[in-house]
Amino acid sequence: MRNRFDEQLAKLNTEMIEMGALCEEAIALASKALTTGDVNLAEKVVPISSDIDHKERDIESHCFKLILQQQPVAKDLRQISAALKMITDMERIGDQAEDIAEIITYLQGKTANETVHIKDMAAETITMVTNSVDAYVKQDISLAKSVIEHDDLVDEYFDRIKFSLIKMISKTPENGEYALDLLMIAKYFERIGDHATNIAEWVIYSVTGNRK
Amino acid sequence: MTSKIFRSILTASVTVLAATLIIITGFLYDYFTQIQREQLKDELYIASVGTENAGIEYLEDISLKNYRLTLIDKDGKVLFDSVKDVSEMENHLNREEIKEAFEKGKGSSSRYSSTLTEKTLYEAILLSDGTVLRISVSRASGMTLMLGMVYPIIIIAIIAIVLSAVLANKMSKRITEPLNKLDLDNPLENDTYEEITPLLKRISRQNSKIERKVAELKRKKDEFAYVTDNMREGLVLMDKDKHILSINPAAMTLFGADENCIGNEFITIDRKHDMIYAIDKALSDGHCEIKAIYNEREYQFEISRIENENDVVGTVLLAFDITEQANAERMRREFSANVSHELKTPLQSITGSAELMENGLVKPEDMPRFIGHIHKEAKRLVTLVDDIIRLSQLDEGGDMPKEEVSLYAVAKDVFETLKNSAKEKNISLDISGDNGNIFGVKHLLYEIIYNLCDNAINYNTDGGKVDVTISENDKEVTLSVSDTGIGIPSEHQQRIFERFYRVDKSHSKKSGGTGLGLSIVKHAVLFHKGRISVDSAENKGTTITVTFPKTK
Repeated sequence: MRNRFDEQLAKLNTEMIEMGALCEEAIALASKALTTGDVNLAEKVVPISSDIDHKERDIESHCFKLILQQQPVAKDLRQISAALKMITDMERIGDQAEDIAEIITYLQGKTANETVHIKDMAAETITMVTNSVDAYVKQDISLAKSVIEHDDLVDEYFDRIKFSLIKMISKTPENGEYALDLLMIAKYFERIGDHATNIAEWVIYSVTGNRK
Repeated sequence: MTSKIFRSILTASVTVLAATLIIITGFLYDYFTQIQREQLKDELYIASVGTENAGIEYLEDISLKNYRLTLIDKDGKVLFDSVKDVSEMENHLNREEIKEAFEKGKGSSSRYSSTLTEKTLYEAILLSDGTVLRISVSRASGMTLMLGMVYPIIIIAIIAIVLSAVLANKMSKRITEPLNKLDLDNPLENDTYEEITPLLKRISRQNSKIERKVAELKRKKDEFAYVTDNMREGLVLMDKDKHILSINPAAMTLFGADENCIGNEFITIDRKHDMIYAIDKALSDGHCEIKAIYNEREYQFEISRIENENDVVGTVLLAFDITEQANAERMRREFSANVSHELKTPLQSITGSAELMENGLVKPEDMPRFIGHIHKEAKRLVTLVDDIIRLSQLDEGGDMPKEEVSLYAVAKDVFETLKNSAKEKNISLDISGDNGNIFGVKHLLYEIIYNLCDNAINYNTDGGKVDVTISENDKEVTLSVSDTGIGIPSEHQQRIFERFYRVDKSHSKKSGGTGLGLSIVKHAVLFHKGRISVDSAENKGTTITVTFPKTK
């Protein structure tokens, strides 16, 4: 009986990693589309985002089944409940990557290379998502903590981008729409960073049982 | 052990006890029976004498506590009995002792009561009047005696059980203690019981057998580990559920994993969708190949299913670093693209001009300009083809005559040739250092210095400097050409020796050249078994250093 439970837990773990990988892929694609201005790349994000949604449903029912049938306690219960919370954040990451991709299609081939920081910010958020998934895979608390610390950096980038976009609008008002689109993208990246932080916090909870 | 010893001790003691009891009881019982029978005979004799003299009245007068007296006539009818009423008694003629007394004058017998708890002894004697006087006595049988001893026997038995238990416990401890202290690693060096020597010998034999097997296994494992640890290709073995069974250091570096990943699922070390998909495909189809980029290097992954008697056991993943190959392939592709582009541009220009002239669209006064253009482009084509021919000659590595050459002299010649173009850009040429004699092919060495100096002038700023320095020691000659030009950005420094590679991607005609110069230099240096290195800083200048060995 317990053996079967362990197997199911391992399966949950695998599914979580798969979902994390999908999130990474979605955001990596979106950021690549942003730097190259390739609309085709941006359109590839949509099916990945729907894959992520399906995965969320699967993991959700898997978790409920585990809780109902096996009545887990202590660390097992923490792992399952953390998983339940994490998939919500992952699903949001997928949605936001999709939103970014959608805005890129409006940019008509323009890239975000004019405002250099947005590229760096994208790279930073990708690292955060990758590290938060890594922290889950390796159950690495120090990595999770570094993800949480990185969030400040992403927030700082957002402020800087906002500032440079304001300057851009005041200099060239005809670029206003473009600037606003970029601001939206930057905001989405900032949100993705927040979700990665949440994931990292849940990792810490599932390992130590401590919640901030 | 303890229970076995306990059982043997108990059996031994109980058996001895029972035997002793039976023998002693039997012996004593017989002895007392005999004494009693003698007494009985004496009593009978006295009674018979009394009866002969005083008749039946004598019998009626005497009262006996333990004995029973019976008088029987010759027909077997009972005349007197001291216990029972005569009228109730049956005929006694058939009783053994009576019969014997009638026949022999005396008779004796013994009989057990119906319950076997009593034994009655009979003695009979024939009196002179033809009647028989019988005396009898009853006593407890051996059985009753035994039954009477049941309680003491039980007590003794309990004592025996307790004693055997204690003894057995102690004994087994004493026996097993040295056995437990046996040194099984060196069984033959023990000095415990002689009786277990065969066992120790067998253990010793098995020990050495196990040692041999373990050593053999270890050797095989080490061999495998040695091979996999030292191979540059990454190797991962997985079972059919994609759990990692074995991973070599190359693969660990590649996936950024550590030893702890063994036993975990593959997805925990790499979650790239393509890779997971490829492993699934290999599990279902038998084989799968993918290419992927890790740590900025390109790898080819070969994943194969492992089968054992039609059962899928797992998969093996091999990773090959194909960065070099991929680069070479890219260079080849770029080369053919570049060469056709470089050849086509002047030709296009020539055909264009010629067509205009053919159709009479060129005014006579413009003719010389068009013809000059055609001439210039044609010359450019010739230079390009010349360069390509030279390169392919170097590629072929054909045998070229070698001679003693002074690099200093060659550099002087080059300066002579380039004097005019240097003057145009106000660049000063300077040469210093040793004579620099090496054994080589003169026109190749000229080519090297010419191309380096030509580049140094072309990519220089107005009023710049070009310095050629030659130094030599016992083994090597070093020639360096340094300029004060625009420099080469660091990301391009690795690739400037590739054919047609241009730092300025527009293939601009501004600086001229075919894009093959440095490629020819590199091949010519390699032909002389020399080395070439670049040291450059953007907007400060470039120094290219060539080192030749002095050997012939």
